[in-house]
Amino acid sequence: MSLWLCPEVLFVLTGVGLILIDCLIIPASKRWLSPLAVGLSALLFLWVSFSSSRPMPESWSNLLVTDALSALFKPFFALCLVAVTLMSSRVRLGADEAVKGELLALPFFPTAGLCLLASARDFLAVFVALELVSISLYLLTAFQRAKPASLEAGIKLLVMGGLSTGFLIMGIAWLYAAAGTTEFSRLLLEQAGKPASPALLAAAGLILTGLAFKVAAVPFHAWAPDVYEGAPTSITAFLAVASKAAGFVLLLRIFGFGAFALESIGQVFRPVILTLGIATVTLGTLAALPQRDLKRLLAYSGIAHAGYMLLALGTLGEAGLGTVVAYLWAYLLATVPTLIFVNELERIHGNTDMRHLDGLARRDPGPSLGLTICLLSMAGLPPLVGFSVKLAVISTLWSAGEIPALVIALIMAVAALGFYLSPIKAMYWEREADSIPSKRFPLYLVWVLLLAATLNLVLGLYPQPLVRLAERSLAPHPVSFPVPSP
Amino acid sequence: MNLSLFLPALLLIPLVGVVLIALGCAPKKTALLVSWLNLIPGFLLSGTVLRSGEVLFGPEATPARELFPVKFLLGMDGLSLPLVWLTLGVTLAAMGVAQEGIKREKEYFICLLLVGLGALGAFLSIDLFYFFSFHEVALIPTFLLIGIWGHGDRSGAAWRMTLYLMLGSLVLLVGLIGLVMALPEAARTLDWRVMTEFLRTNSLGAPVQNLLAILLLVGFGTLVSLVPFHSWAPGGYASAPAPAAMLHAGVLKKFGLYGLLRLALPLAPLGWKEMGWLVGLMLAGNILYLGLASLQQRDFRWLLGFSSAMHMGTVFLGLIGGTVLGLGGALTLMVGHGFSAALGFAVAGEVGRRTGTTWMHDLGGLAKRAPKLWFYLMVAAMASIGLPGLANFAGEIMIFFGAWSAHPVLVVVAAWGVVLSAVAMLRAVRAIAFGPTSRSVENAAEPDLVGITQNWPFVLLTAFLFLVGLVPTVILGPARPVLERLVSP
Repeated sequence: MSLWLCPEVLFVLTGVGLILIDCLIIPASKRWLSPLAVGLSALLFLWVSFSSSRPMPESWSNLLVTDALSALFKPFFALCLVAVTLMSSRVRLGADEAVKGELLALPFFPTAGLCLLASARDFLAVFVALELVSISLYLLTAFQRAKPASLEAGIKLLVMGGLSTGFLIMGIAWLYAAAGTTEFSRLLLEQAGKPASPALLAAAGLILTGLAFKVAAVPFHAWAPDVYEGAPTSITAFLAVASKAAGFVLLLRIFGFGAFALESIGQVFRPVILTLGIATVTLGTLAALPQRDLKRLLAYSGIAHAGYMLLALGTLGEAGLGTVVAYLWAYLLATVPTLIFVNELERIHGNTDMRHLDGLARRDPGPSLGLTICLLSMAGLPPLVGFSVKLAVISTLWSAGEIPALVIALIMAVAALGFYLSPIKAMYWEREADSIPSKRFPLYLVWVLLLAATLNLVLGLYPQPLVRLAERSLAPHPVSFPVPSP
Repeated sequence: MNLSLFLPALLLIPLVGVVLIALGCAPKKTALLVSWLNLIPGFLLSGTVLRSGEVLFGPEATPARELFPVKFLLGMDGLSLPLVWLTLGVTLAAMGVAQEGIKREKEYFICLLLVGLGALGAFLSIDLFYFFSFHEVALIPTFLLIGIWGHGDRSGAAWRMTLYLMLGSLVLLVGLIGLVMALPEAARTLDWRVMTEFLRTNSLGAPVQNLLAILLLVGFGTLVSLVPFHSWAPGGYASAPAPAAMLHAGVLKKFGLYGLLRLALPLAPLGWKEMGWLVGLMLAGNILYLGLASLQQRDFRWLLGFSSAMHMGTVFLGLIGGTVLGLGGALTLMVGHGFSAALGFAVAGEVGRRTGTTWMHDLGGLAKRAPKLWFYLMVAAMASIGLPGLANFAGEIMIFFGAWSAHPVLVVVAAWGVVLSAVAMLRAVRAIAFGPTSRSVENAAEPDLVGITQNWPFVLLTAFLFLVGLVPTVILGPARPVLERLVSP
């Protein structure tokens, strides 16, 4: 594929282009910027889904590779970007309204980073891509400078992100010292059959810690709720879905299919990942129960979901890895529409407190129904897609013989109903607040939510497409990596 | 003509009703129309089942190994036939009883249709994935039905019932996953027919069977309100609006029993035998403990809730009896109890709506002012006691004979259950129907059912009770070959 047609390059160029347009055009025509950004991101999504399985340009092939996993997740990230620009265009910035163009343009850069990350075949590429993502996100999180919560979120993300980067780069350094290479397939070939050296184990541990920050796994989760709450909701969606998914893609590549899945290293880290998973599911669920703010609630719910994915990943078996892939798509389908709804709620009420939902079903039956189905899917009720993937997690744990983890996952799945049902209860059987805002939900929201609800339902009743995705993702087994000539 | 297409039609027709109501058609009329229409595929399919034993619908089995071999398979045989008719009948009656003009009518009827749809789907599904999913489909509407349209402590009852049933379902889910995973890799399938055939020749190891039997017992047992997993039931039914209680107590609860009959019995027979003493202990708890508790109730709805949970004990006795007669009795009692509980909750709903109370000492003299309602109350009470000629008697007597050789002590316990039931029900009838006319009955503007439109749901349920009671072979005839295969080694 020509260099100029690579999704990564196109994302960066579009971002730069949008910034230039924002700076150069006359202020009166600025209202065209939002539709332009949404349209461009949608076009890019189409292009990425069409072209994501094409090989990378020759000159990049030492660092980047196109395989089934990257082909599957580049459209994922591009789809997230569409949702993010759509939400950004609807965010009310108050005093910062003049710089809204940047909120629209900047997310294109971390998306490029995520696509690079999905293709990375070398830890160096991983690190560079990850920094591209992180630095853009520090800016975006602290975007609403007038809001102390937004600044606080930016600082927290900066400090915690810096810390996690520190762990990661330290791990990569140890890895290079222990193995003499940072390239995934060489590492795998050279380490196969050898006992793992302590330095290599330390490297794997440090890298796992760095990635655990990214996916907000307990005990490295503490930044997530505050950052999600403070950031503009569109950026919350980016952090909660795209950035988390990227963490899991890396975990899949390194711990699932890559060198750290080797018997010698995997058997050390299998219990570690499972323990992380158990702690994450438990804390995420229990901490979500008392939340009254929708964004915080979704933050903890996202932590719990990360826990389920870690549990599936921790079995290190074929079925578990496929499950993580399917789970990420199911998570996207339920979480992104919910956040789009939250974004509109914030636009109307100025905050995201759950009491704004009281009696909503009477005023707005369409959005209420769509939100209900998305929440139920997250809760894992059949016949929605969230159930199918939770079922896959549970059956993976059963066949791997991890009974304690299975029992905890089940108990937490029931406890989770406590917080997923409470917004539904508020919408359907609380009385309406006395002062009803005059502003209504826009029509597009109804369509987005009902479309998402339909998808959740259809994929729940007929999970074959997801299963096929998962099966396809199992293809990048290490042997399929082309080994570069030394 | 290929009649198997009517199997998905059974599910599609209520679904069309849901869509039509959502789009703005008159809720009650639409709900009634689809419930009546659904009888047509019901009749056609019954004919085929009677002639050829079973009807199947779905893709052909493919031998290729898949990561997640889910298939939308539907089927109906002599065992599911009576339960499908129970669902069709009770759904129809529930729609007939459901009030027009209730608050948020549209959502109300949609929820009711979804509960019936979930139950039908569960009874028809052959793939375990859909078998489980359809049951869950019915739970959220139940949550909303109790929470929005219920009475008393509706919020607490709705949460308790939903969380309890979810927890039970998840234990059940683990049991089902365990069942699938216990099969050797080559034979792994979600199709319970294939599974049963496979395990007929190759049985699972004894420890695995014990584990599975426990998981399925606790999972299904929670859904059937087996003691000590019963505490959601009486309060939930007491708070639910009448049609929701009818559908849940009458139909949806039978899912647990159906699952045990279909899966636990044939797939883990050793484990099921091994667990016999535990089931015996639990069902004795249902009969004696809940029976005694029902004597103490002052509210007719609570009494019905307890009595409904109590009868599940007798059905369980039939299930552990291990004879065709006992299983046939259990199936008959499932159906009989479904209709009688539905009739009881329907009467309680009407009494409550017309007089404003269901507290028994606030009622009295109903027989004089509302003779028709009194008659249906008597039918429900007599069926529940086990009067010969009504469906429950046929089931109970078969269960007692069928279980006698294996569990004589439990049969004696169950016979005491009949006595307890009689005391509770007759006291309730005396308090509600006879004695001096109470103020609430006196003041009721329209105490009795008027005209055919208000009467027909009750007539329908009564007719079903008499039909099964007088001619139990309508259930046993088609079910017998299936049950015989279940118990034959």
